[in-house]
Amino acid sequence: MHIPDGFLSVAVWASLWVVAMLILVVAVWRTNKKLGDRHVPLLGVLAAFIFAAQMLNVPVAGGTSGHMLGGVLIAVFVGPLAGSIVMGSIFGVQAIFFQDGGITTMGANIINMGLIGTILGYFIYQSVKKVVKGDRGMIIGAGVAAWIAVVLASAACAFELAASGTSPLGIALPAMVGIHVIIGIIEAAITIAVISFVLKTRADLLKLPKI
Amino acid sequence: MKHHFLDQHSNLHSPIHVLDPRVKIIALFSFLFFIIFTPITQAPKFAFYGALVFSIILISRVPLKFILKRSSVIVPFVLLVAVGLPFLGGGDAAGSYNIGIFRITHSALLIFLNVLVKSWLCVLAMIVLTTTTPFPKLLNGFQRLKLPKIFIMILSFMYRFIFIAIDEFGRMRRARDARAPSLGRIQHVKIVGCMIGTLFAKSYERGERVYTAMRSRGFNGEIKLTHELEFKRSDIFFFSSFFSLLILILVVV
Repeated sequence: MHIPDGFLSVAVWASLWVVAMLILVVAVWRTNKKLGDRHVPLLGVLAAFIFAAQMLNVPVAGGTSGHMLGGVLIAVFVGPLAGSIVMGSIFGVQAIFFQDGGITTMGANIINMGLIGTILGYFIYQSVKKVVKGDRGMIIGAGVAAWIAVVLASAACAFELAASGTSPLGIALPAMVGIHVIIGIIEAAITIAVISFVLKTRADLLKLPKI
Repeated sequence: MKHHFLDQHSNLHSPIHVLDPRVKIIALFSFLFFIIFTPITQAPKFAFYGALVFSIILISRVPLKFILKRSSVIVPFVLLVAVGLPFLGGGDAAGSYNIGIFRITHSALLIFLNVLVKSWLCVLAMIVLTTTTPFPKLLNGFQRLKLPKIFIMILSFMYRFIFIAIDEFGRMRRARDARAPSLGRIQHVKIVGCMIGTLFAKSYERGERVYTAMRSRGFNGEIKLTHELEFKRSDIFFFSSFFSLLILILVVV
């Protein structure tokens, strides 16, 4: 889902860059205020953690495999804004160092695969948690949020391509969303597995201050 | 353990490798923007852009096969656009092509060429940048180019700990494969979840430990560099010739 350079029109990628940067600036500012000089080592180590987790592939079907995005997971642990900084750093590194996604399209990729998960996903997680109480609410909420985040990310990607005139919405949307309805199940399954494991072994880690 | 996913060819010796990272960053990022903003109808320009990037690849001595293989990351998106082509209506029917029952208009074809050529050239340029510059040097370059400090610091921490995290995963994976060589899909997901959960706990604790260790050694939120970057004559030569070529392509071709 990493959009390469050249696939989005200038108007689309430039405005998404601006939106992504605005959100990240607010996130940095708020995190800085809450954590002070302590947040840098922590966010760096967590970024390395998500990065390594993304390298663990899970077989999907027919020889293909997918990896998790981890946006919802990191937001559940450390909160939406700190999670956004972690995801922004990861997609920056992936674009510059691994060519997974372009430079001009980096804003779009950060929003699609990072911020939709950390901010919108976290909001969904919180809403589910209010309805279903206790540990079950946590697990269900994280799973639902992870699935929706992946599907929304693919839909956003299709809309951006369509708005740029590179692929008609009628093709891009069903193709992208169709694939990611399945990939989202894996994201949800891993997120649920991680949260239930941490609940069993180190429940205190789920009560960290959320930023 | 050895890690080949990062810095695989960035420690070779070539005239491109020794350039100042700032020069390479500015040159290749501007190259990217030249490509993005050039209309696809000016085909000769793209031929020259391609010649430029391939001559840099040749000088850099990075295996061409490696670069081409790596540039295949754009393929899924190219396919997605290709599938949509027959439905990208509009444009004149005069220059259209018929493939089977599908009719691809000239303007749809241009859109396809546009994304294919531009994304490929851009990805080649970025591969040149990262295969000729080690990660820490590149970060140093970005820092000197005034990228927000917070991201530089997070990224340099991330770089240091990625290797530890991956080693830890490697050990866990080996332990899993030794104890449970064949797993069903659901079980596989479950185990991966446990591994990620374990790694999170370890990472978080490590983050705290590292912070207290750094704090006790006088860390106040700033990382100081021990070596400074300096422009050499070769940097100025590369920079000026690269940009004269770009401008020449822009004006003359």
